[in-house]
Amino acid sequence: MFRLFSFTCFCCLAFLFLFSTSPAFAQKKYTISGIVRDPETKESLVGVAVYSPELQTGTNTSNTGYYQLTVAPGTYTLQFSYVGYQSQTHTLTVTKNLKLNLDLMATSHELNEVVIEAGGLQEKLKTSQMSVEQLSIREAKLMPALFGEVDIIKSLQLKPGVQSGGEGSAGLYVRGGGPDQNLFLLDGATIYNASHLFGFFSVFNSDAVRSVDLYKGGFPAQFGGRLSSVVDVSLKEGNTQKYSASGGVGLIASRLTLEGPIKKGKSSFIISGRRTYVDLFTRLMNQANAKDPEYDPIPNYYFYDFNAKAHYDISAKDKVYLSGYLGNDLIGFRNSGFNFDFNWGNKAGALRWQHNFSPKLFLNTTLSASGYRYNITNTIENFSFNISSNIKDYGLRTDLDYLPGNNHSFKFGAQAVHHAFEVGRLKAGSEDNTISFSSGSTYQGVEYGVYAGDEYTPSPSFTLNYGLRFSGFKAGTSNFMGLEPRVAARYALTENTSLKASYTRMNQYIHLVSNSGASLPTDIWYPANNVVRPQRSHQVALGISKLSQNGQYLLTNEVYYKWMLNQIDFKDGAQLFANDNLNAEFLFGRGRSYGNEWYLEKKQGRTTGWIGYTLSWTYRQFAEINEGRWFPNRYDRRHDVTLVALHQLTKRLHFTGTWVYGSGNAFSVPVARIILQGHPGERESYVPIYSERNSYRQAPYHRLDLGIVYRLRPKRGEADLTFSLYNAYNRRNPYFIYFKQIRDEETEVTTGFQAKQVSLFPAIPAITYNFKF
Amino acid sequence: MKQFCFTYFTRLLPLFFIGGLGACSNMEKDINVVLPELKPQLVVECYLEQGMPYQLTLSESTSFLAEPQLSLVRDAIVVISFRGRPDTLRYRPFFDTYQRKYYTHYSRNILRARAGEVLTLVITDKTGRKLTGTTIVQAPVRIDTIEAHYNDRQEAFLLTKFTDPPQTSNYYWYSVHKRRFNSRAELDYAADDKLNESSTIAFGSGYDFKKNDTTIVSLYHIEKQYYDFLNTVEAAREANSNPFAQPSGIKSTVQGGLGVFTNLAYDRRVFILKD
Repeated sequence: MFRLFSFTCFCCLAFLFLFSTSPAFAQKKYTISGIVRDPETKESLVGVAVYSPELQTGTNTSNTGYYQLTVAPGTYTLQFSYVGYQSQTHTLTVTKNLKLNLDLMATSHELNEVVIEAGGLQEKLKTSQMSVEQLSIREAKLMPALFGEVDIIKSLQLKPGVQSGGEGSAGLYVRGGGPDQNLFLLDGATIYNASHLFGFFSVFNSDAVRSVDLYKGGFPAQFGGRLSSVVDVSLKEGNTQKYSASGGVGLIASRLTLEGPIKKGKSSFIISGRRTYVDLFTRLMNQANAKDPEYDPIPNYYFYDFNAKAHYDISAKDKVYLSGYLGNDLIGFRNSGFNFDFNWGNKAGALRWQHNFSPKLFLNTTLSASGYRYNITNTIENFSFNISSNIKDYGLRTDLDYLPGNNHSFKFGAQAVHHAFEVGRLKAGSEDNTISFSSGSTYQGVEYGVYAGDEYTPSPSFTLNYGLRFSGFKAGTSNFMGLEPRVAARYALTENTSLKASYTRMNQYIHLVSNSGASLPTDIWYPANNVVRPQRSHQVALGISKLSQNGQYLLTNEVYYKWMLNQIDFKDGAQLFANDNLNAEFLFGRGRSYGNEWYLEKKQGRTTGWIGYTLSWTYRQFAEINEGRWFPNRYDRRHDVTLVALHQLTKRLHFTGTWVYGSGNAFSVPVARIILQGHPGERESYVPIYSERNSYRQAPYHRLDLGIVYRLRPKRGEADLTFSLYNAYNRRNPYFIYFKQIRDEETEVTTGFQAKQVSLFPAIPAITYNFKF
Repeated sequence: MKQFCFTYFTRLLPLFFIGGLGACSNMEKDINVVLPELKPQLVVECYLEQGMPYQLTLSESTSFLAEPQLSLVRDAIVVISFRGRPDTLRYRPFFDTYQRKYYTHYSRNILRARAGEVLTLVITDKTGRKLTGTTIVQAPVRIDTIEAHYNDRQEAFLLTKFTDPPQTSNYYWYSVHKRRFNSRAELDYAADDKLNESSTIAFGSGYDFKKNDTTIVSLYHIEKQYYDFLNTVEAAREANSNPFAQPSGIKSTVQGGLGVFTNLAYDRRVFILKD
């Protein structure tokens, strides 16, 4: 271990030394730096594109709104552009280090502004970072949504290389990866189960979210811990100038957000909450039918979540941010001595201290805590049953950004997370303890990582982003380590055409124990150990980006190939629920995924949107499944098409539409059947025999969603009505297929079998009222 | 089949939700699926009981969409050996009208064995297929008490208590029938004693009974291999109906084919619900 650690440190230091010494031979250079903010809220803007045509290079503002460019003496034009804001251009003569702070005006102060500038495309062309999707919350809010509930994860599903888990699902399947291979970060704290209602809605309230970045590959060195993707969500900071309230009333949920200054200009807060209210109606129905002996009460169900954040500018160099999340789903059922409660949810909190040592060196230190748990309680008279599982994390990470001014941009840092797992904690029995069952295991583990990376731009046409991450995990006697090299490069073929390439290696030390192929609340997290080894992956990607029509359109084409090792599955009949020896239930194999993603994007003018197409293959191989032959993953999707169009008809009226098409999901069909009569006293049953895993394809999936946003003119503040029509042409998309046993109604004798296709959602209209004042 | 096992309830929760949505708008339709076919395999079911003759059912697996009837194997040689003495069962298909079961092979030999003794099964047919199996005779576990607990609607659930033999891992099959043993069971499920902390185990039901109901409560002490077989059969059936379930193969207790060769050791009580 020591040798490997030493080697890693040596590598990190070596390349830092190598490049930090080079300025001695370079021409004298100066920096242009500053912070970009929203003038109304004074909130710093993340990801603003800063571009210099003379240099043919640029940068993005960091998560503190900070940017910096290093230039030789001379006169330069700087273009600042950001989705939903008016672009600004500044000409500067540089003879010394310059500071330029500026406020970008929103294109409209009204809700849901659709005008989007094209500057972001220029920056996308120029950056070496590939395989990343940045989601605009304004775009997400305009898109039609199921039940009118804006969902940023479902908006991400519309990007190439990203698939949903099925109809209405908020799960993510990125480049052939499973739902457990995505790292969801909310202001740096991990969110372990990012969905409500069995995956139909994501936990992220779009009112509280400032930005979302999804990394599908080419992972920067600061990220680790999952194989397939990183979803980095940042919460808004709150308005430092004035108090405001916003919210919405929808078909199934309402939401309210309050924000304002704590000390004007220095600190602010934002608090946002939402809750569903279907349970209010089901309670009324249950009360109305309480006297009907034939009536089966409907279980009460609701979910809620809260987001809160506060920040304080201690000085010009120091800021602190405190953010938190709390969300729960609850199901309750009570009936004549039978009580059932099932609840699950996430908690997360992060305290971040940002310190600027100098215009060239920044420090961000984050202390975070997060957890996920589910709990099921059932009582019948004096007998009770309780099962729960949870994971709790306490983490500390520190990240340094060093911009020495010689075309380098260094990032380095370290992180450690302590994981505590409670797996399948069961307690059942009678009040007098004459009957007692229990199970459950607890595990502890520490996951850590040290990284260093550099974006080096030796010439306007070439950028190299390289880094190394050393990661490890220690749990009991198990100790794992791994080196994770990360390399990405961009070469400008012409002014409007860039070639890009990347290689990443990832390690994943905790696993989701799920036999469902989807994310369920009862899925549990489990640490790597001497039996269940860490999952590992390698991914290479090659891409070309071309800007055309005066920068109006950006066409991107990426091919990727991903190898996945130590993939997990489970034995036939595996007992995953209350099992003190889960190690015995795992199967281990490998996976591969490859494909080609096309993406045509338009961000300028009254009509904006994108077209995405993905051609991909995803396979798994386990010695115990399919007799060791490769088989397609459940979400192997050969063709995947998305069309997204946003059109501003007038200043008050916007039309939006999305159309998606996907090849049918792979699923398993029985190759034979046996009749089991059972032992005396048992009834006969027809048992399917499965052989080939995922050998059959469902019918293709396609769906059109339409939306209209109509701005109202309230006396105070702003308001709009959002109409959405989900599945506009009422397509019966396959959700799953099963074989129904057909029985003679009189004799109850089985007469045959019929394949049935079940669909979930027909055309669903919805209306939402949004307000802000 | 109703099950008291709460874990299954949580598995089914998503289905309640999905089923509700599907039912709202008739979101189910017939489709045609062309299924691949597997070469037919021998399927045996043999449940030996103390004091009963050897009898079993031998059939073949069929295409999933084939006619729902047993595909019999007529030319097989079926041998059960006990204490070193092989006994070849005769091919004599018959229908047991009380138990409502078909049997294909039969012997007049009556099983009289002590717990721990071993019986073996060998089946060969003219196409060269060979199926083998072994079973170890189990000792029955006695039911201590059966209790009825009523709610305010005068519905009752049953609680069957018994003493779990110490020092060994034990596996059970529990069933409750109303009125007749050959009717559909009100509930039945398999369970093990891994999580049990005390010497007493209780198996329960839902509120499925009323005063004056006559019930037949059976507690089978079964082999682990039969327990695994039952669990994987349940998983395979669930894979057909649960969109969240993965397909599961069956862990047969026999080799060279599918099915079960086991023995049944049980305690059975008739219990009439009183106040």
